[in-house]
Amino acid sequence: MKQRITYIVHDPESFNPTSLIVKGDTFSINGADAAKEHRITFSLSELPQEITKYLDRCHELHIRWVSERPYAPIAPFVARVSPGFHAFFTPLKTGDTNICPLLRTFDENFLCESPEHDFTVMPVLSERFSMSSSLQFYSLLPDLKHFVQYLHYRVICPPLDGLHEYSSECMIPNAASSPLSPLLSASYLDMDYDAISHALTISAFWAREPMDGSWTETITLNSKGGSIEIGVLSNENNPDPEDLAFSGFLTVLGQDDEPKPTHFQTPSRHHPLPPTNELTFTTGFSYPAGLHPTLELTLSSPAYAPIAPPNPTCKLHTHITLPSSLFIDKYQFSDPLFLQSHNLKSLRSISGATDLEAPEWVISQWGSAALFELSFPSESSQTSSPQSPLEGSSNTNFTVSIPLHTRYLPPSKVGGADSARVTVPYPVVFWACHTDSGTKQSASPFDRVHLGYEALFGPKTMFVHVPPAARDAPTLKLKGGPKKFGGGQSRLVAELNVPVLETKNAAVVEWGTVGVVVAAFLGLCWVLFRGNSPDGKAVKSMKGKGKLEDVVQGREKKNE
Amino acid sequence: MLSSFFQSPRSVFASAILLRAIFLVYGLFQDAYSPMKYTDIDYNVFTDAARFISQGKTPYARDTYRYTPLLAWFIYPTTWGGNWFSFGKVLFAVGDMIAGWTMFLILRSSMGMSVERALKFSSIWLLNPMVATISTRGSSEGLLGVMVSALLWAVLEKRIRLAGVLLGFAVHFKIYPFIYAASIIWWLDNERMGRSGPKAARADSLAQKLVKFVNRDRLTLGLYSLLTFMILNVVMYLAYGYPFLEHSYFYHLTRIDHRHNFSPYNTLLYLNSSPNAQSSIKLERLAFIPQLLLSTVLIPIVLAKKDLASTMLAQTFAFVAFNKVCTSQYFLWYMMFLPFYLPSSTLLNNRRTGITALTLWVLGQAAWLQQGFQLEFLGKSTFFPGLWSSSIFFFLVNTWILSVILQDVKQKKRLNDREVEINWKRI
Repeated sequence: MKQRITYIVHDPESFNPTSLIVKGDTFSINGADAAKEHRITFSLSELPQEITKYLDRCHELHIRWVSERPYAPIAPFVARVSPGFHAFFTPLKTGDTNICPLLRTFDENFLCESPEHDFTVMPVLSERFSMSSSLQFYSLLPDLKHFVQYLHYRVICPPLDGLHEYSSECMIPNAASSPLSPLLSASYLDMDYDAISHALTISAFWAREPMDGSWTETITLNSKGGSIEIGVLSNENNPDPEDLAFSGFLTVLGQDDEPKPTHFQTPSRHHPLPPTNELTFTTGFSYPAGLHPTLELTLSSPAYAPIAPPNPTCKLHTHITLPSSLFIDKYQFSDPLFLQSHNLKSLRSISGATDLEAPEWVISQWGSAALFELSFPSESSQTSSPQSPLEGSSNTNFTVSIPLHTRYLPPSKVGGADSARVTVPYPVVFWACHTDSGTKQSASPFDRVHLGYEALFGPKTMFVHVPPAARDAPTLKLKGGPKKFGGGQSRLVAELNVPVLETKNAAVVEWGTVGVVVAAFLGLCWVLFRGNSPDGKAVKSMKGKGKLEDVVQGREKKNE
Repeated sequence: MLSSFFQSPRSVFASAILLRAIFLVYGLFQDAYSPMKYTDIDYNVFTDAARFISQGKTPYARDTYRYTPLLAWFIYPTTWGGNWFSFGKVLFAVGDMIAGWTMFLILRSSMGMSVERALKFSSIWLLNPMVATISTRGSSEGLLGVMVSALLWAVLEKRIRLAGVLLGFAVHFKIYPFIYAASIIWWLDNERMGRSGPKAARADSLAQKLVKFVNRDRLTLGLYSLLTFMILNVVMYLAYGYPFLEHSYFYHLTRIDHRHNFSPYNTLLYLNSSPNAQSSIKLERLAFIPQLLLSTVLIPIVLAKKDLASTMLAQTFAFVAFNKVCTSQYFLWYMMFLPFYLPSSTLLNNRRTGITALTLWVLGQAAWLQQGFQLEFLGKSTFFPGLWSSSIFFFLVNTWILSVILQDVKQKKRLNDREVEINWKRI
């Protein structure tokens, strides 16, 4: 077991190195205002059999869970993934490939039966970039409670008899009482396994200490062995825009008697916006949405800092993860005028459940993912529209819209509402820029890959991420449904109500339709067959009709 | 002024061409300058499929291409780029013009109308802005129009082999024209065809009746239509394999049509195709019974010998009204028969009935469209009662109009060639 703990200090000026104390096998940090990444690498032999039996089915497995709560990025932890649970999976070529039971440790309600049934095939635009997994699974997942409980009861505190009997100190009332409870406040969690290294790496990231904002912790080397490396770093001004530079202290527990000062720089795949650039974005649906909702991305920047690419090679993109209740009609995006009217440049890639006709209940896959290139306002257009002096502090907003379509959702059950809630995670927005150091990026100790979109770009690409900001969503009300949701807390999701039929009317619809059709059919039969004899009523009215026709024709003749 | 307009085929057809040309050019401008396109989405499906064909691929590589590969081949020139993109629209518009010309011919020859009267009634199609719009937006109904009206013309002209080929082709193209086989076959009796047949004046036994029924013309029509249909299918299957069968035919049998449309069944289909359906009987599976009984058995048997064209109108009307899915392009399927039925119809001769029928027909659609708009664009759940009741209302309106048509055609005497000649002289 190897551990690496990295603190990135938010404000190097106010950070006091004397707050770091190394004593024997113990490291303590006191009141550090920092982001933290904790990475643990397990070899397969260190893991319980009920996890390894699923890992044995993987050629590669990469899990990315991201919190719905907004968090502030800090280099090098700036790479973004849409909030929720993502699994990128390449199965072994032979044998059982079902890893759904492993994924369901995060949420037993995941709609995951088997990869063939529920996963989507990842698109690869750049063959040379071979680091891509082949299959993808996604689900919304607001928290890690279920996973923490799973780890607590199955891994760190396994049942005494292997089944259901636990020692009394193991029993906890809820996930927050577990020693693993810090995971509940993580901003994101990565898990990576591949069959070549035979190692499972778990990384959790906290943008800030969740309770009081600063870290006061003591880290002790485990008696069982393993190693712990601790870095307390801060960002340096980087001389090379393709690199990130750090300075600070490194400590290898058990080896070092005191934190060792360090200074290094490394090429990086993912970059924050330049310090002068304060671009953010929000996402939401425009109302009324109907069955063809439009997802709006509003890019927002202070008036004094117009929206501009970090360098001229950069192109603005968004990568969207959609649940199966919504879909994109790729054929709409071939018309330049249509694209322009939505401030889009092109639909670069789309994968997953893209059927244009199917209702939601016949789609087995989780949904679809799409990559768009976006336009952005030219600098001249932003300055040519002067802000009113009263709004000196206002922002320059630029809205990109992505037309979507809803699938028909199942009619609500008895007692349900006349609409169903659809939740879409915030997409990720980034500038994709050309870089010459592409091949060296993976040398970075903080390189983060398998995010779902890098394989859609060439290897000489770096990503400059635009952070999301929560939007004050209009309050949606579900008739007859829960009145409150979200608890007032901002979440990085966009929500939509999709109208559905209420099954309480099923009997009227069914018998009404059948009754009307049968009555109409019988009525028409009656019209066809009544008085069918040649000298019956039919002939009489025929005579009358003949007259009528003569009258009409006579009138026409007059008109001539 | 107006009557002199209708006395010259040249002025009517020139106006029809002009109408389509104006719509076509207008469409080019709208497409070039607005993100809201004039061109129908289906036209993009056709042209995409044609592009796949030009790349040596299958047209079914285009999602939602559910037609015969022939359609994509017909508009192959759209792949040549530039203004050729509009080739298909021009083809469809030419198709509906020829359909209009065929209607004029039928009204002149088979129904014995004067030029002016025939032009007036074929203008229901030729000068109809809805028809011109649908063709120039790139919907293939115009081609269907020429096939079906040519089929009627060929039958009335007693060119049975040609009629068989057209019928087989039309069924290959759009399936539903198979309903016309029933009425045409019934119509083709020995008296009509001027054949005495086996001179058993009174065919009493079932066997005798059967022998009398299976006459040469019926056999010819059946053989030629079946041969055409099967040859086309075999060729397409050999060229495009199973996807051809799947998308052209099987899809139409298995589609669930859960999305809102004019059909009375649409809410029921949405309900019962979903996992939350509570019904165990699923009566909608039997929807084909009233539809096919009416359109392929009862209506042809009772009416076909009286007036073939109006019977085909009634069949199509019943087929569309009782169908599990119904959109406004389906209305064109029966509109192409109106010029033959209307001249001697209650709808035209009894002004009150006619205006009531037209008003209710439009009102039914308007009510549905209003509910559909609320659902589709405002996100209001109007499935029940709004959409459901307006589709039921529209269905009832259609049933009533159909009953008027049925009554009219039923009251007709069997029209034979001698009478046509008398008519002809009278006019």
